[in-house]
Amino acid sequence: MLEVISYILMYNGLYKHIVICSDRLEGGGYLLKEFGKQFRTRMIWMVVISLFMAAAIVGQSYLVVSIIQQLFLENAAFSTVIPAVFLLISVLLLRTIFQYMIKGAGIKMAQTAKISIRERLLAHFTNQPMADAEKGQSGQKTSLFMDTVDEIDGYFSKYLPQVMQSAGIVLVVWIVIFTQNWTSGLIILVSAPFIPIFMMIIGVKTKDKSKEQLSQLAAFSGTFLDTLQGLPTVKLFGQSVEQRNKINRDSTGFRDATMGVLKVAFTNSLALEFIAMLSIGLIALEIAIRMIIFQNLSFFTGFFVLLLAPEMFSQLKQLGSAFHSGRASMGAASRVEDVLEEETAPVHWGETPLQKKETPELRLEQASFHYEQGNFQLEPATVRILPNEQVAIIGKTGAGKSTLLHLLAGLLPVREGSFFIDGVPQEKVQKTDWFERISYLSQHPYVFSGTVRENIMLGSQDEQSDKTIQEVAAYAGIWEWISVLPDGLDTVIGEGGRGLSGGEKQRIAIARTLLKKPQILFFDEPTTGLDIQTEHMLQKSLDALKSHATIITVAHRLHTIRSADKILLLERGQIAGQGTHEELYQNNKMYQQMITAQQGGRQV
Amino acid sequence: MKDIRLILKTMLKEKKDILFSISFGFLAGIAAVSLFAASGYLISKAAFAPPIYTLMILVASVKLLGITSAVSRYGERYFSHRGTFTILKNIRLKVYDQIEPLANRLLQKYRSGDILARIVGDVESLQHFFLRVFYPPLVLAAVFIATIYFTLYISVNVALTMLASMIMVLIVFPAIFYLFQKKVAVSMREKRGALSSGFTDYLHGFRELTIFQQAERKKQRLFDEMVQYETINARENRQLAIREAIVIFFSFFISVLILVQAGFYVSEGNLAGTLLAMLFMIAITVFEDTPSMAVLPAHLEESKASSKRLIEVWKDEEPSSTGTREIEADIPLQFDFKKVFIQYPNEKKAAVQDASFQIKPGMNMAIVGPSGSGKSTLMQAMLTFAPIKSGQILVNGEEINGLAPDSLWGQMNVSLQHNHFFYGSIFENLRFANKQATAEACQEALEKVQLGHFPLDKQVLEKGTNLSGGEKQRLALARLFLRDASIWLLDEPTSSLDAITEQQIMDEIEKVTTYQTVVTIRHRLTGLEKMDQIIVMNHGEIIEKGTYYELMEKEDGYFQAMKELENQQLQF
Repeated sequence: MLEVISYILMYNGLYKHIVICSDRLEGGGYLLKEFGKQFRTRMIWMVVISLFMAAAIVGQSYLVVSIIQQLFLENAAFSTVIPAVFLLISVLLLRTIFQYMIKGAGIKMAQTAKISIRERLLAHFTNQPMADAEKGQSGQKTSLFMDTVDEIDGYFSKYLPQVMQSAGIVLVVWIVIFTQNWTSGLIILVSAPFIPIFMMIIGVKTKDKSKEQLSQLAAFSGTFLDTLQGLPTVKLFGQSVEQRNKINRDSTGFRDATMGVLKVAFTNSLALEFIAMLSIGLIALEIAIRMIIFQNLSFFTGFFVLLLAPEMFSQLKQLGSAFHSGRASMGAASRVEDVLEEETAPVHWGETPLQKKETPELRLEQASFHYEQGNFQLEPATVRILPNEQVAIIGKTGAGKSTLLHLLAGLLPVREGSFFIDGVPQEKVQKTDWFERISYLSQHPYVFSGTVRENIMLGSQDEQSDKTIQEVAAYAGIWEWISVLPDGLDTVIGEGGRGLSGGEKQRIAIARTLLKKPQILFFDEPTTGLDIQTEHMLQKSLDALKSHATIITVAHRLHTIRSADKILLLERGQIAGQGTHEELYQNNKMYQQMITAQQGGRQV
Repeated sequence: MKDIRLILKTMLKEKKDILFSISFGFLAGIAAVSLFAASGYLISKAAFAPPIYTLMILVASVKLLGITSAVSRYGERYFSHRGTFTILKNIRLKVYDQIEPLANRLLQKYRSGDILARIVGDVESLQHFFLRVFYPPLVLAAVFIATIYFTLYISVNVALTMLASMIMVLIVFPAIFYLFQKKVAVSMREKRGALSSGFTDYLHGFRELTIFQQAERKKQRLFDEMVQYETINARENRQLAIREAIVIFFSFFISVLILVQAGFYVSEGNLAGTLLAMLFMIAITVFEDTPSMAVLPAHLEESKASSKRLIEVWKDEEPSSTGTREIEADIPLQFDFKKVFIQYPNEKKAAVQDASFQIKPGMNMAIVGPSGSGKSTLMQAMLTFAPIKSGQILVNGEEINGLAPDSLWGQMNVSLQHNHFFYGSIFENLRFANKQATAEACQEALEKVQLGHFPLDKQVLEKGTNLSGGEKQRLALARLFLRDASIWLLDEPTSSLDAITEQQIMDEIEKVTTYQTVVTIRHRLTGLEKMDQIIVMNHGEIIEKGTYYELMEKEDGYFQAMKELENQQLQF
């Protein structure tokens, strides 16, 4: 039994290898292989069922032949074949059930595999460096998470079951044919290998052509959406008719290119059918000659073989069409692999609780961070931030301000050097202990789909009364806005806060933070786009938090910078100066230049 | 039926491909049936050791039928797929024709732009209609009928059995399956939508979730949604498999029934024994392609849903209420806003309230204000892209809605906040503005926006994804230099550029617009000193209006406060 299975698996591997060699466009290597290991028992189960199914097919043909033999040649009474008829119906029922079981196993595998792939993608995206996650491209990530993973379905639900089913049936049926009439078996043995050979020849011949066409296809596929999205531009420039012609041309081009690729696939099927036909024809001829001329083959055996041979080739044909979905899935899997191979930078935490109830002291010692790809590097930095200190981080765009802020907030890992929280290395600190003490206000706060209440309640782990929520909302200057909403606090706002202005989102974020009462506040000061009232609200809330919280700000405003207890001046990933405004203004040339330029800039 | 008329109408235009697909499909099917009938007959004949030449004829005809079947199958596949893609093309054109006049209103209605992706998705899914729903049953029916007709000559009763089972497989089963299909499809779409938006929230809000310690909870919820979606997905797949199994077993069962029926006639002596194997072979072959009927309802449901959604996009829109009056090309445009209110459908608040101002020809005007204050909406209104709820916008004294938009746009040079670029070369994208523009003129325009280093044959990817924000803004402006217009409308044209480049490009624009009107939405408050008028907006209202100096001298002025805030910022 084991030998049979290993032979089948080898056959499967060989087949895959041939096809993959003939077309290197797809990858999808290790991800699917890993599942192959995980699903080993399931696959063996599928093979076992497919052997049963093969047995049913053999039994079915045997019964059909014997019924016809009895009625036709032996002139038996009709009643004598009735048991065989019932047996035949049961065998057919079994055959259908076995086939369904193989499919069902494939569907189950697809379900497990897709959940597991999505889990891995989720884990991957959450471990990606924070700055990367903000880079936009979220549409692509969503499409990968939803559509691409869905495309993998076919590999498990269609392709693998068909491979297992075909492998088992082809093998068993061939053995039966060989034992019944070895010459027929020999004909199949000689002709069957022509199928992959033929496919390879066609594949090699058309390889370059189809590659070129596939790249053309990729270009075409998006043009319709492209045009629709550009409709306002199209109309403003008076190009509507021209664009219609372009859609016509592109769609025709798309059709012709696709047909070019499909023709190859159809030619493959044609070759397969020709070989099947040739092989079956030869078998029929051989059987007829032996029956008529040599008269050394019975009707029974002849008919039996003649019924079995098409069953075998029909399995090969089905494999050919299942291969289509298999290939699309492999392509999808390789796209997922590409993403999973991207860099991650998870932050590790430990079990040590923070001892003191008060605001902790933060200390970076020769701490650095760099991305694996790209050339940005935060050079080793040594910084000490005392409890309740007001810190301003300043520097040009790309100097590493956000990276330093994220590092201090425990959102990016320190690659070399150390980060101490109250003297405890960050990676030993309990994660919950840290995050319950901090908050973060960014230029573009995120508002989740859900009610206004849920969005504000994000700031609290405990239940809060409506009164408390109203208080913080009023303080953040958003209560007026909430009170006129149709459902008040329970009004549902869309994903990403669609329909909310920048100021409204900012105020919701302020309310969250006020509810949380953080000991350390990380703050990315807004540059433009906020209305003056929101700006004032922001300033007021910060002032309220100031007295009992450390505030670390990526600062753009002179006011914030001058009133800071400590300024960190960044230049190309390096701390080029730290101290108060007076200290830096006296000693740091770059800082002097910046301040002077700013004051001069006002007059321009 | 009403829902699929869109696809049916467009499909039936491709009569040639449809006819060829069905003919070849029929030929392939009937050749296969004949092939197996002949081989069944052959083997029965062979049992009686007939003269060799009858055998030869049979073998030759088997070969011939085999080749015919394989080649016809190729033809069927070729023409059905060709037809499918031609139909796809026709649907695209049809949809374009419907959407094009409505584009402005659609974008008003659905500001996010998701609608377009949905339209494209629906059009794509309609391609299955012909291939999986329309022509397979026709081919099957044709093959069935021909086979039944042939069988009539052998045994009328066997032919009747076949007829009854044909009705079962082609009509009764699909109809029953279809009733079950509907429910599943709806709940699956819902689950998918929930998972997709849950994921987007998780991804975008990850920092917030981490800091507020909700990441684990949200992840758990997302995981639950994932499992639910996959469970329902697997259930749907299993149902499809069950339906397929039902059809397959039914086909087998009918073949056995025909075997038994014919066998009975043979044993009674009413039918020649040599025909028994043949009848069985015919039955088993004619049913071979019926499993496709099991998946048909799913595709039908999908096509119907897509078609319905597509029609809904334009169904309720009135056939173009835009005006037809052409405006004279030589007269410069003057805009008068009189108490204009603008409110987008599906939005609770008005985007612009009570806006009154005037744009005189040759004026240099700026609109400023925080994000979401209604600046862009004002400009959209000048382009007839915004829904005016009350008030009037007059263009040279005439109501804007009465004018032919094309003649209005013909006089405008517009750079929107999100400018669109098409897949193609820089040259093609520039010539979009002016078909007659020479290579030299294009190169010159590129230099004006400091993109002189761009070769004209550089490829721009869809939506300009290979260009940076600043490059896109500059390319959009370069387009405008190639085109004559009496009024320039620029929505934050240089927000992604540094202050120095911004100034240089604005200077270039000033050079070519000495006599033209220029309206600019600004996010930075620099270089506004020379403006004839500045409009300050907040929360959809015009709160201040005047020249730079007038606004700066205003006590407690909003503009002044904004300027003060900007001055406090370090400029890098």
